[in-house]
Formats: sequence, C-alpha cells, structure tokens
Amino acid sequence: MPQAAPSNALTLLDAKALVAAALPFGGLTEATQTALAESFEQAHYASGETIYAAGALSDDLFIVARGAVRLQRKDVALESETIVSRGSAFGWTALAEGAARRNRAIAIGATVLLRLRGAKLVDLAANDPGPGRISCDDVIAAIRAIQQPPPARKTAKTATPWRLQLKLFQAGEWLRSPKPYLMLLGYAALFGFWHLAVEVLRLPRFAEMPGPSDVFREWISDNPIYGVSLHTSVYYHHILISLRRVALAFIFATALGVPTGLLLGWSKTFRDYVFPLFEMLRPIPILAWVPLSIIMLPGSELPVLFLTFLASFFATALNTMLGVKSIDPSLALAAQCLGASRWQVFRHVIAPGALPFIFTGLQISIGVSWFSLVAAEMVSGQFGLGYLINTSYTMVQYPTIVIAMITLGAVGAVTSVAVRLAGSWLMDWRGRHLATSGAR
Amino acid sequence: MNAQLRQTVQRGGQTSLRGAIEIVDVVKSYDQGGASVQAVDHCSLSIPAGEICMIVGPSGCGKTTLLNAIAGFHGIDGGAITLDGRTLCGQGRPKAEIGADRIVVFQNGALFPWKTNLDNVAFGPIVQKRLTKAEAYEKARELMAEAGLSGHERAYPGELSSGLQRRVEIVRALMNDPAVLLLDEPYRALDALTKSVMHEALLETYYRTGVTIFFITHDLEEAIFLGHRVVAMTSRPCRPKRIFEIDIPHPRSYDALTSTRFRELAAEISACVDEEAIKSFALGEREG
Amino acid sequence: MSDIAANAPATGRSNSIWARRLIPDLATRRALIAITAALLVWQVGATSGSWLGTPLPIIGAAPAPDAVLTAWTKLLGDPGYWQSWVSSLLRVTLGFIAATAIGAPFGLALSSWSIFRGLAFPVFELLRPIPPLAWVPASIIFWPTQELSIAFVIFLGGFYTIVLNILGGADALDPRLIQSARSMGASRWTIFRRLILPGVLPSLGVGMETAIGVTWEVVVAAEMISGGSSGASASSGGGLGFFIWNSYVGGAYPNIVVGMISIGFAGYFSSALARWAMGRATPWLKRT
Repeated sequence: MPQAAPSNALTLLDAKALVAAALPFGGLTEATQTALAESFEQAHYASGETIYAAGALSDDLFIVARGAVRLQRKDVALESETIVSRGSAFGWTALAEGAARRNRAIAIGATVLLRLRGAKLVDLAANDPGPGRISCDDVIAAIRAIQQPPPARKTAKTATPWRLQLKLFQAGEWLRSPKPYLMLLGYAALFGFWHLAVEVLRLPRFAEMPGPSDVFREWISDNPIYGVSLHTSVYYHHILISLRRVALAFIFATALGVPTGLLLGWSKTFRDYVFPLFEMLRPIPILAWVPLSIIMLPGSELPVLFLTFLASFFATALNTMLGVKSIDPSLALAAQCLGASRWQVFRHVIAPGALPFIFTGLQISIGVSWFSLVAAEMVSGQFGLGYLINTSYTMVQYPTIVIAMITLGAVGAVTSVAVRLAGSWLMDWRGRHLATSGAR
Repeated sequence: MNAQLRQTVQRGGQTSLRGAIEIVDVVKSYDQGGASVQAVDHCSLSIPAGEICMIVGPSGCGKTTLLNAIAGFHGIDGGAITLDGRTLCGQGRPKAEIGADRIVVFQNGALFPWKTNLDNVAFGPIVQKRLTKAEAYEKARELMAEAGLSGHERAYPGELSSGLQRRVEIVRALMNDPAVLLLDEPYRALDALTKSVMHEALLETYYRTGVTIFFITHDLEEAIFLGHRVVAMTSRPCRPKRIFEIDIPHPRSYDALTSTRFRELAAEISACVDEEAIKSFALGEREG
Repeated sequence: MSDIAANAPATGRSNSIWARRLIPDLATRRALIAITAALLVWQVGATSGSWLGTPLPIIGAAPAPDAVLTAWTKLLGDPGYWQSWVSSLLRVTLGFIAATAIGAPFGLALSSWSIFRGLAFPVFELLRPIPPLAWVPASIIFWPTQELSIAFVIFLGGFYTIVLNILGGADALDPRLIQSARSMGASRWTIFRRLILPGVLPSLGVGMETAIGVTWEVVVAAEMISGGSSGASASSGGGLGFFIWNSYVGGAYPNIVVGMISIGFAGYFSSALARWAMGRATPWLKRT
C-alpha cells in the first residue's frame, strides 16, 4: 500500500515542471497545465513494492518524481525490462478505457510518483480552451507516437558487437584514403628494386644473391631444387618446431614472469631481496648464455628453450613490475577503505590494474622470444627456421635462406598480432574508454 | 551543538549517534628529501556526529595529512584521534586501521576502471562478506536509483563524465553505511556548473543518511554552502585558526548563495584564509 | 593525552644490530643478503661434484665462483682480454651511432611527410618482424668484408627500435607548439631545429636503453656466430662474444662466466653513459 506523504512533499512548482516535461502536451494553456499539476496526487512506494501487476485494469498514469521504477514485461512474444527514472511517465494504457496493464511495475528504492486518473487527464486536455486543445483521438495517437515497441533484449549473438562495427568503420575509412595504395606502391618499390638489382641489372654486389623470382619459384615449386617449399613437409616441420619452441618458452616465461613482476611491484620485501639479482642478470645478453646453457643443460633442445625463455621472462617481469608501479595508489587505498584484505586488493586492484602494461610486456616478450630463438637455433639445436637459415647458408642453398627469412617474419607477425588481440579482448574496459574518448 | 545540525540530523525522531571525531593535540611530521617537515603541529578539533565539517586552508598546509591520519593511511607522531569514543590512533598505536567506517572519496576519483559501475558500488559489502553477491547487487541498484544514477550500471567508469563518476564513488562509499565520509577536494577538477549539481546531490544524500562529513576544499563558496561549520586552518604546520558557524538554515537550496548572510560569511572567511595563503605563498608552498 | 611511544624505526628491523649500524639502509642490507645467498648456493652447487661425490643436476656442471674469480684475476693482465672489450664496445658504439644517424632522420621523415609515411612505413613494418640475426647469411653474401656484414646486422638491431621511438615521439608532439611558433614567424628550418629536434629527444632517450640493449645482444650474437663458423682470430678483435665462444670451444669454462659478467658490466656502463648524455641534452626534463 502506498504510504501517506511525509513532510518533504513536492511543491506545486516542482509538480508542474515534471508534468510539463513528461507529457507531450506543451501546447496546453497555462491554466490547464496548472490544473493538471494540481490533479496529480503523490504516492510513495517502498523499495520492491509492486505499483501495479501485469493484466490489472489500467486507471492511473504515473510520472516518476524520485527514485526509479522497473517495468517488466513477460508475454509469449517478448520478454523485456525497462527502468524509468525521474521525469519519465509510464502507464499510458490508462488513457485507453478498459485496457489492461502490459507491464508489471516495481519500485526501486524509496520512490515518489505523481499519479492521475487517465480519464481525468483526457478530460482536462480535451477541454482546454486554447489552440492546443486536443481530442481524445489525438491523445491516443500521441501516446502511440511516444510509445515505441519495447526494445527487444539484445543478446550478444544477434546485435553487431560494437567492436566489430568500429573495425568495419575504420576499414571503410582506410580504403577510402590513399593509404592502401601508397602501401602497395611501397611494396612494389621494394620488390621492384630487389628484382632490378639482382635479376635485371645484375649489380656487382648483388651477384650472388637470389632474386625474387628465383625465391618465389622455389617456394611454390612441387619439386624444389633444395628440398624446401610450400609443398614439402619438411618446410612445415621447421615452422612447427620453431613455433612449438616459442610457444613453450613464452608460456613458461609468462607463467613465471607475471607473478614475479607482480610481486616485485607489490611487495617491498620481495623487491628488496630479488630485484638486485634480477637487475644483475638482466644486462647479460641472451646469447652470452649459450655456452653455459649447453654445458649445464642436458640434450640439445633444452638450451634452446632455456634461452628463448630467459629473454621472454626478463621482458615480461620487468614490464609487469612497471605496470604495478603505474597503478594510481589511491585505488589500492580506496579498496582498503572499502574493507578489502591485502589479498583482495591484490586480486581486484593490482592484477587488473597492471594488465595494460603486462600486455605491452607480452608483446615485447613475444618479439624478443623470436629474436632469441633464431639466435639459439643458429648456434645449437636441430630443425627450426633459424637452423634452416644457417644450414642453407653453409650448404649454399641461397633461395632457401630467403624463404626461411620471409617465413620467420610472417610467423612472428602473426604471433604478435595474436598476443595483441588477446590483450584488447581481455581489456574491454580500456577499449570502450578509448573509443568514447576519441583516441585513434 | 549547532542548532541547524540538530535539526537536520533528526532521522525518524532519533539523533544520529555515529561519526563523532575527536582530534586531540595531533602532531605529525614526515621526511621529504632528507629534511623533516612538520605537517601538523598540536592540532585539536572536535567534530560532533552528523556534522558537515568543512576544512579550508592554503595549499600544502597539512589538511590532507590530517585526513590521511583519520583514514589510517599513515600514522601520527603525537596526540590521538578517536571516533565515537573509540581510539583510532594514539598512545601505543601510531596508525589507525583502515576501515569501512571512515571511507575516503579521493580528489581524482578512485573508481576501479576495470569494473562496471555496479561492480564498483557493490564492491564493499562483497569483499567484506557482509552480503551475498545477489543481495549486494540489488542494494547497489537501489542506491544508484535513489541517487539518480540508474541506467549507468553496466557502463564502465571511463565512459562517464567526472561529475557522474564522483557520484558513483559516493554511492559506493555509502553502501557500507560508514560513520564518516572523508572527502579530499573531490570536486576540485569539475567545472562550476557540474559542481553546483554535485553540491545539491551531496546535500540530498546527507539529508537522507545523516553521515558525518569531513570535507577538505579550497572553494570557500562550496565550504559555506555545504557546511555546518567551516574550519580555517593556518599555513603549515596546520592547526585550526578560526572556526566559523554557518547559521544558514538547512535544508539549503541555491538561493542561499545570494543571501546577505552568505556574503557576510564569505567575506569574513576569505579575509581569514587569505592571510594564511599569503604566508604560504611567501614560503613557496608547492601544491599539496 | 600524552605523547605516544616512539615509533618503530622507519628502516624496519634486521637480524643483528651491528649490521644495522654498518649499513643503515634496509634495502641495501637485503640486497647484500640476497647476493651472498645466491653466491653461496652457486658455490655449493658448482662444487657438488667434489664434496657430494656426484654432481647435482644442472648446477653441478657450472664453473664455480672461486674458479671464476681466479680466472678473472689472471685475465686482468691479459691484453687480449682488454682488446675484446675494446672491440665489442667499438662495435656497439658505431652500430648505435649508425642506427641513430640513419634511423632518426628516417623516423622524422615518416612523421613529417604523410606520403613518405604511406610508402615507407608498410615496408618498414613488413621487414621488422624478421629478426636481425636472420639477416646474417644474407648480409655475409652481400657485403664484401666480414666486418661490414656484422656491422650491417648490428645496425639493423638498433635501427628498428630507434625509428619506432622517434616516430612515437614526433607523433606525440603538441601541434599547438608548432602552430604558435609559425604564428610568430619562424621558418620551417627554425621550427625543425628548435622545436621538433628537442621535442623528439626525450622519446629517443626513453628508447635508448632498449636500443643499446638490443645492439649489445646483436653484437654478442654476431661475434659468436661469425667467430664460431669462420674462425676469426682472437687477436684480430673478435670481441667479448667471440671470447666467450672461444673459451667454450677451448674448454676454459670459468672464462665463459668471466666473459658473461664482463658483457653485463659493459652493457650497464654503456647504458649509464647514454643516460647521462641524454640527461645533459635534455635539461628541461625533471629527473626524479
């Protein structure tokens, strides 16, 4: 039951303003508007109280003065929910005689509503002496105009995701600019120069180099001269071996590096003990570890994995640490004020807050992984793209060198993009923020 | 007790009993680049429960240090601070425990950018395990609706304007039913129009909940409009120089700004604060 | 209320009082503890073959710290060792200068002329994922001398990093600065010399440590690879990378570690030098 109005009731002025804003009858005379405002009653509802149920006879039109109301609709065809707040009018079916409520209205929080018999509203509006006078039919037409069908609940599957829309838009923009054509021109210049220098002009320095047509022909050939092409399985074998090594090393480095970095940033004790050792080992170039790793680690695969892991680990841990340091300290304090324990602060503030830096670190780390892998493969280990480059050189199989180089570049780029996409997917909140703030 | 205060704090016939702060003879200095800087020097202040106490003073004078000490962000070197008779920090315990009975609203906002507004608001009761997730979300939705913020639940803080962000942050604090709200120049970065809306919203919230408010600001008009009392602090090290009773009746609306009494108070307080500001400027204070 | 008891010392507590007096800084004390512990573990593990009977896995095969120290003291008197230092440092310096000399104008050109950017940047991004070391064979085929081919690869290493940093810095330059300069009648050359160049320096500084790091990596790698495959002699300036590889091949394992530590020092030293130089070139940036 709605309660009696307490002392802080709405003034008439307030009610008039609400009525004028909420109803489509701005053309009514001053007198009618005042009469309308006076006719509205105030009704107070407690949180969760039902204002009216679906199917009930509609008699009152409501305007929200304070709080909010949830309108739920559940029928065979549609299920929807809208929340209306201060200034909105609802319950329009009251204006049609004998209509039943379509929605169920529930108060959210302590709510104050202005309430008027639908019939009375029609009456007042119809009897307005001024030019704004409207008939009953006009009113109903006006209602229909305002009341759009309730929005169908958009699931992620049916509506186009906002990010896809953004990407499509950007793609369209890009195609319309001169950029793609300049890009093609640039590539043409590169390959053109290469072709000219090696195959056409046969410049002295380029004498022994393979030209693009040699490389391309070898690459697509069914029966390649040096045994490596798109059609040979050994090609894919090399690619997979390198990929597998990078994947293993990268995953390990991330699994170890992120927690290390988080701790380094978060705990002064940990940082005091561990960071000096970390900073002493970090400047040593990865390849300088080659002989030591061959001596210390058994087999030929482990040293390669270790070297790739090491480079990746340092990059990830360092960037994660910087990420933690970059978090606004008031966020951690705010969480503590709200009652979070140290661990909860870590989980809810530090870890998500450091994510952007972590992902920058991961992108650097994947690049560094490839760098180290190639170096390591060239020096030790068997199979893999780096190894292929080295052996092709020693066996004077020059086109294969270029094939391997290009493949390396392509695979490296794909993995970088994959890491970047994973990052932007995980950090949805950042993307939305950047999109709405107009950043490129 | 301030007559206005007594009136506004009536809630269902009962006066609010929570949130009385006693700052007794507090001393605090800190290290800056090797030299010791005295931030607070034998500062004493009594804030009754349910009061809106505005703290004004020149930049860098130590007001934030005082707020941080109440919140428990750092300790004090001498004196004591109590809340409702219970010692927060003092003899034997230099640093107060950070707790949900005194919640801080920060200058540049401290909503968690990676959580939705609803998640932010519901954060407190959930991590304290006082409510289940469902209950917390329901209550959060209610409070947001009461504050006129419904419709923004699923958005991220970064998508809102700064004014709306502050309001969400205040709702987040109120979810935990704190005894005291500690506000450190929360509206400093907002434009004048948004500030007016914020003031009204804050007062509305205050009338509903009766929470004690400890509010640091540079804006004298803001101080007079909102507060029951305005405490003018000296330059560093800070100590209350003069306390002004704002006898403009509650509930206040914006026509209070143009009333004669308001203008009189503004002139008085301004003169008092300017004196200290000039002293600070001469000392070359950097922004606190 | 009387004064509270004295605070616990800000430096925290450690095990022994004499240690606290000798080295008052907590962080340094902990660092020394960690390093000492690590050295002990290393020593014990590396010599596990002799005192345990069978060497521990992995750590057991490492050269022991005392052997390393002995080897190092011997090497300090060996001119070949110092020659390696000089060779490597020379390569790094020249490579870095070359990378900057070509990379900086390239990056600036990319930023200033959009047509050039549209043409050249995609090509740059196409070639960048190919690791510099993958260019070694191609480089050896192309360039007439061994030294030049190594230099090219070293150059490539730093080139990519520097271009990206300069591009980022140039893109981020506030266009209003340039507009106001133009409105004051500055010529294009003046704008370039007095506005763009200094404006870009900080981002060059930021990327410098990375660029030097990458250059060192490539130098060591190139020295090891070319030393390993074509057998350049140590006296012709194989560099520290070659020194390490040679020590490995020759079975002088403690020398490997000496080489590694030497490179670590050299790398740290060159980064510090570069940072100092950058600091002198950009006095307006506040150093914390």
